[in-house]
Amino acid sequence: MSRRIGLAELPAYAAGSRLFATGATESSFRLTLDWARSLAGQGVELVAAGELAPGTRCAAVTLAGSMIALSEQLPGGDEPAGAVRTLERGLGEPVGAVVALNLAAENALIPLIAAATLDVPLVDGDGTGRVFPLVEQTTFTLAGIGAAPLALAGASGELVLLDTVPGRVEELLRPLVLAVGGWAVAACYPMSARDLAGAQVAGTVSRLLEAGRPESARPSAVPFGMRTLCEGRIMAVEGSPRRDTGPSLPSLPSSIVVEESQGLRRLVRLEAYNEIVLALADGAVVATTPDQICMVSTRDGAVVDVDRAVPGMDVEVIVVKAAPVWHTERGLELGGPRAFGLVL
Amino acid sequence: MSAPKAGWEAPVTVAELVTAGPLAGALMYGTGEKPVHEVRIVDEPSAFGTVAPHTAVVLVGAAASGGWAVEMAMRRAWEQAAACVIAPSSGLSPASGAVLAERLGVTLIFVDDPLVTAVRVASAAARPEAARMQLVARAATRLAEAGPSARAVLGVLNAELQGASVTFLDRYGRHLAGRRLPDREPPEGGGGRPAGPAALAEVEVPDQEGGLLGRLVAHGSLRSPGWPPVVRTVLGLAVAPLAAWSATARLAASRDFTLQEALAVRLIERRPPREEGASGEQESAAARAAALGWPVRGPLTAYLVRPWGRRAGPEEGLAAQAVIAATVGRVPVTRRGEGWAGWSALPPDDLAERLRECVEALPWPSAAGIGTTVESLEAMEDSLLGAEAAAIVAERGAVARADRMGPAELLGALPAGVLRAPAGVILQPLLAIDKDGTLLETLTAVLDEGGALKAAERLGVHRNTVTTRLERIKAVGFDLDDAATRLAIQLACHVILH
Repeated sequence: MSRRIGLAELPAYAAGSRLFATGATESSFRLTLDWARSLAGQGVELVAAGELAPGTRCAAVTLAGSMIALSEQLPGGDEPAGAVRTLERGLGEPVGAVVALNLAAENALIPLIAAATLDVPLVDGDGTGRVFPLVEQTTFTLAGIGAAPLALAGASGELVLLDTVPGRVEELLRPLVLAVGGWAVAACYPMSARDLAGAQVAGTVSRLLEAGRPESARPSAVPFGMRTLCEGRIMAVEGSPRRDTGPSLPSLPSSIVVEESQGLRRLVRLEAYNEIVLALADGAVVATTPDQICMVSTRDGAVVDVDRAVPGMDVEVIVVKAAPVWHTERGLELGGPRAFGLVL
Repeated sequence: MSAPKAGWEAPVTVAELVTAGPLAGALMYGTGEKPVHEVRIVDEPSAFGTVAPHTAVVLVGAAASGGWAVEMAMRRAWEQAAACVIAPSSGLSPASGAVLAERLGVTLIFVDDPLVTAVRVASAAARPEAARMQLVARAATRLAEAGPSARAVLGVLNAELQGASVTFLDRYGRHLAGRRLPDREPPEGGGGRPAGPAALAEVEVPDQEGGLLGRLVAHGSLRSPGWPPVVRTVLGLAVAPLAAWSATARLAASRDFTLQEALAVRLIERRPPREEGASGEQESAAARAAALGWPVRGPLTAYLVRPWGRRAGPEEGLAAQAVIAATVGRVPVTRRGEGWAGWSALPPDDLAERLRECVEALPWPSAAGIGTTVESLEAMEDSLLGAEAAAIVAERGAVARADRMGPAELLGALPAGVLRAPAGVILQPLLAIDKDGTLLETLTAVLDEGGALKAAERLGVHRNTVTTRLERIKAVGFDLDDAATRLAIQLACHVILH
């Protein structure tokens, strides 16, 4: 099976990428979408990993750093290609296909831009099946594939090739991203198409295209199921003490208290660290990462960013079940509550 | 130490810890009604699996790292039937803590230093009797420092027995010091019970003579079976200082007759009705009257003792007061008119008997009067007026009662000795011609009986005899048709004849 993502498919692709995306800022997303639109004329080929020659060298492409920085320091346009070319130089062989690290908002568009610029196919799948804040929180890592060597391309044309052992990438990456201007395109996880097929969460791009169509319902975007935790009103947004986590996470912990508006009228607490990592109802654990917990505004159906939650907002709290690999012992260690400093 | 009293060994409850124990002053959400048997320091959620029921769970470390951790702990505490959760005050916003405490029925307490708290609570839970004793000891120390002042003593009681409201009532149930009880509805219909809450503890305060000075009453929620005995004990500690306060007040007042007088006058001042609560001055007067042992609630009867035939000297008050106190009892004594007045709660017959003893015991000739019995101090002025009138008509060494006073008593009260001389002058023309006294006798009979016919019947003579005698009386210059003359002559006749 192969199909193309062109101008006609782009709106659905963009809409689908935002169904569960938290942390998206409007201006940076519009900018990235315009960027993608300018390149999508001839379309990008979407292939399943299994359709590629097994030895094809593939790389994951993603945005690193702050979305706000992206909207302030505009891209030059050659960053995605620059990152992949730099990786190719380090590898000594060409990259034959790109894959998304995750498919949330800009992170879905940047690999598409990379594929269009380099004229290589985009693989129908991604490295998380959802979003995690750290570059190494991926199913690729779970499959034993290293994020390094990793290439970075900043907006001012600077290129960095980083090679290190697993577990060190995040720590080295963060100051580098800051040094090149706050955001950069990263090309990482070089791997064969054969390895990618076994490590990725497959079919997520097709699903996203499907779910992004106006007539589709939100659950169609979800491969492993979702449920509504509660509907309620935000009572309070509180700071939360910093926790001891391995590579420290990019933002401060916070806590959102939602009072259920119907039924048992439970007190639901959403503990957030970049994203919501734990949900308690009357003190009982009702959902944790690696499943994805998000607030959806009941007013307009948009995902409510943790940083934008304010008391009085009416929200629906939904839980999207993560890929089964995340629920393995190794998956929980990398993406479960403990990875966010929560000892339950 | 002797065997502990019943209830002292009952496990302490969470509320008791917070309001009067090692958690005093901590922020508490929930009822705190559960007993605490032990304390467990929990530093991570997995430790909850082994928390026993009735445990006070003290959260530290990861188990207190933010609202989520505290909320999870409350949930686990609920599942394990723990007594309460004690968290550092930085752990959770009070709002969600309060909501969850109510939803789960788990008491949540915020403290500044959980570890120090844990040690204190553990000691209180392990030896409830010792913890309660500690409170009693502290109260005793502070009561000793407060000294003999009802206000200071009640201040200590209310500060130490946090969560309880302690009131000092006089023997009539009126507020003297301490916190006021919420107004109780009077019982409705027959057999209705008072609407107010039952007292936690009540202790009687005796006066020096063994009578009842007042009652200490503590109200509040029943926190544990061990709480009322503790409250009762602490109230008991206050009895001696209050008795001393009463004795001191009595001593001071008996030294100062003027002070007592002023107090008595203040008590019977006409006050605006139904304004007791607003009048702090009246209230303190009532409190001091209670300390002096004076009756302030009806039925009350006024009395007045006066020296016979002269006004009371200014320096005689103390002596009179001493004799009145010795015979009538502890009653107010104030200077009034020609003597000393006050009131008593004794029935009029008993009061009359005591006053007779008093009049006999006084070192100078005296008489006494008793007013009508009234229901309250507000009406005391009327009773005092009656007592004054009765004392005036009372004969030397006697006690007259206003409720038994008639015209005869009034006439009897006329100072016959003083009036005899002027009466003789007025009647001189008549006496000059009245050799055997028949004219005076006839004149008196006519004036007393109001006419010649009845006078003739009284004297046993013919009507014409009376008429003839009247002609002779008029002939010497008495105009019986003039009312003033008639009254003067009648008085003169009365004085001369009796």
